[in-house]
Amino acid sequence: MHNLLDDYAISNALRETSARLKLFLGLWAILLSVSSTTPIAPLFLAITMSLITVMLAKIPGRIYSRLLLVPLSFALLSAGVVAFMHGSGQTLFSLQLFGLNLAIREEGANLAVLLIARTFGGMCSLYFIALTTPMIEIFAVLKTLHIPQSVIELSMMIYRYIFVFLDQAAMIHSAQMMRLGDAGTKNSLNSFAMLCSVLFLRSWEQGERLIVAMDSRCYDGKLDLMEPAKGAKPLAILAVAAYLAAATAIAVLTRGVILL
Amino acid sequence: MTIILETRSLSYSYGDGTKALKDVSISLEAGKKVALVGPNGAGKSTLMLMFNGILRPREGEVLFRGRSMSYDAASLRSIRRAVGMVFQNSDDQLFAPTVYQDVAFGPTNLGYAAEKVKRYAGFALQYVGLLGYERRPPHHLSGGEKKRVAIAGILAMEPEVIILDEPTSNLDPASSEEIMEMLDELNLGGKTLIISTHDVDLAYRWADEVILMKDGGVVRRGTGQEVFGDAELIRDARLKLPLVVDLYQELAGRSIVRGAKPPRNILELCDLLQPKAETRAGVWGKIYICNVDEIDGEEIRAMLDKIPVDFKGAMGTSAKVMAEKCGISIDFTYGVIDKCILKALIGKSSIIMTSGGMVEHTLQRIKDYGLESGTKIEAIGLLQ
Ligand SMILES: Nc1ncnc2c1ncn2[C@@H]1O[C@H](COP(=O)(O)OP(=O)(O)OP(=O)(O)O)[C@@H](O)[C@H]1O
Ligand SMILES: [Mg+2]
Repeated sequence: MHNLLDDYAISNALRETSARLKLFLGLWAILLSVSSTTPIAPLFLAITMSLITVMLAKIPGRIYSRLLLVPLSFALLSAGVVAFMHGSGQTLFSLQLFGLNLAIREEGANLAVLLIARTFGGMCSLYFIALTTPMIEIFAVLKTLHIPQSVIELSMMIYRYIFVFLDQAAMIHSAQMMRLGDAGTKNSLNSFAMLCSVLFLRSWEQGERLIVAMDSRCYDGKLDLMEPAKGAKPLAILAVAAYLAAATAIAVLTRGVILL
Repeated sequence: MTIILETRSLSYSYGDGTKALKDVSISLEAGKKVALVGPNGAGKSTLMLMFNGILRPREGEVLFRGRSMSYDAASLRSIRRAVGMVFQNSDDQLFAPTVYQDVAFGPTNLGYAAEKVKRYAGFALQYVGLLGYERRPPHHLSGGEKKRVAIAGILAMEPEVIILDEPTSNLDPASSEEIMEMLDELNLGGKTLIISTHDVDLAYRWADEVILMKDGGVVRRGTGQEVFGDAELIRDARLKLPLVVDLYQELAGRSIVRGAKPPRNILELCDLLQPKAETRAGVWGKIYICNVDEIDGEEIRAMLDKIPVDFKGAMGTSAKVMAEKCGISIDFTYGVIDKCILKALIGKSSIIMTSGGMVEHTLQRIKDYGLESGTKIEAIGLLQ
């Protein structure tokens, strides 16, 4: 009924690679992207990360591009605003609108390009993590990072029941649709309110059933049954190190380059 | 004959005043397959929740192995370990993010060492035929697979009694037969099983003992033939007659068949309809039994080439897994022994692939059939 990022993550081709390594790679790339002062390094990261996600992790290209459309629309909108707002240097483009003089100057244009590049570099790296590392493996990594046990246990159960409630919400929603619960704004609002209250009650009930289910299997405060996080293969570590070194080098070397 | 679970004038009402159980006194023998049947709201689920101490009776008591159940934390722990419960809705039961974590939950909480937890969980998953599913999240499983995981989670705790609330609701016919066959296998291994069901055919054919409940009380208990022999009683309880019994009663009414008791299954019904004298002695097919624990896929295929069989059956999870792995097409996956006997009676030979403990059982079942009906079908154990 619903296809979440996690569903792709579970069947991606890089599933067997160490989650720690993937997290490290993704996080480093995000940091590089958002801290870079020129668009070159973020663009490099955006392109290579996309290639890795689509070619190596075998995430279908169609889905990946659709995912990227969301941040793309945001980035383009805000870049447009930024381009017109910042002004110094040569005017590249100007127009008269209702007596207002709107102009894009060099600085504004540079900033807009940087904004788009950073957003893209960051998003591609974030999607790399989201599409190659299922939540369950992130839990395992969290555990090795000594995050408090109860926090991890809670998040694991929340994670599990997100799907149960998504199914329930989808079912209630279609039950409402079948009886024309979406006919008109008033009806839609009413249906939505009902959906929320029913979901709340159901989650309450589910909580009680959860306790019974745990108790009937001798719950004793233990849920630490994590498979140990897998170690990374030397070759993978080497490849990631080389890639990150190259990306960092590009970021450092192109520090002073001004495009326009 | 030891009594494992017993209730004495048990009564229970829910918080809102619904009287769900009224003066229920039953005793269940160890090693039996028991089916609770009855209309919606009869109190089946409520009674089951009493058996492992999730609900506490208002009046009366529950006894496990002759000892009255007490409700302090330590006693409840030991009861719940010995009496495992599989809920009707698997989503209520599977709360961990991965299959492995869920199955390992019980053993971990019993305080086993990590290595032992792993061994038990691995064994349970293998038993239900889900090896290789360890890292899958439950929401990526089908209904039948979820049910198997739920059962594995209970098996990993090695209970003596397993209670299953409507184990086959929501499952397709093949999955539900496979689950029931798995329960049979567990029962052969000495476990006591209690299920509730609305499927009268299933209760009739599967259970050693049927308990008919209505309005919070036990109306009748006995073998399937005893309980379902009484058409009026069954109608009063908003159930229907199992197909075999219904057919038998119609045929008996037309004096086509005679017999004191209705047949238990299709095999017995066929025997009633076609008396021994009419079958041509000597042209019966043979039944070969092959133990998949002892040979590998190549050898099975080589054997199938040599022995002339018309039908192939696989019984038990490991045999089915094996057959699938080496691409052998299987004709019967459930009710295998009866199907093969039926085919043998019309002169066709078949092979049953099964594992360890079931081989003995299969040979015995065919021999018993021979003694009962006077038709000796040749059962040949391969590689024994
Ligand atoms: N949590 C509850 N709160 C209040 N009443 C309940 C609760 N659960 C069950 N009951 C009531 O107790 C009675 C017995 O219910 P129970 O669930 O044991 O029946 P059942 O035989 O399992 O029915 P079904 O075949 O529909 O599962 C019913 O009248 C029901 O309305
Ligand atoms: Mg019930």
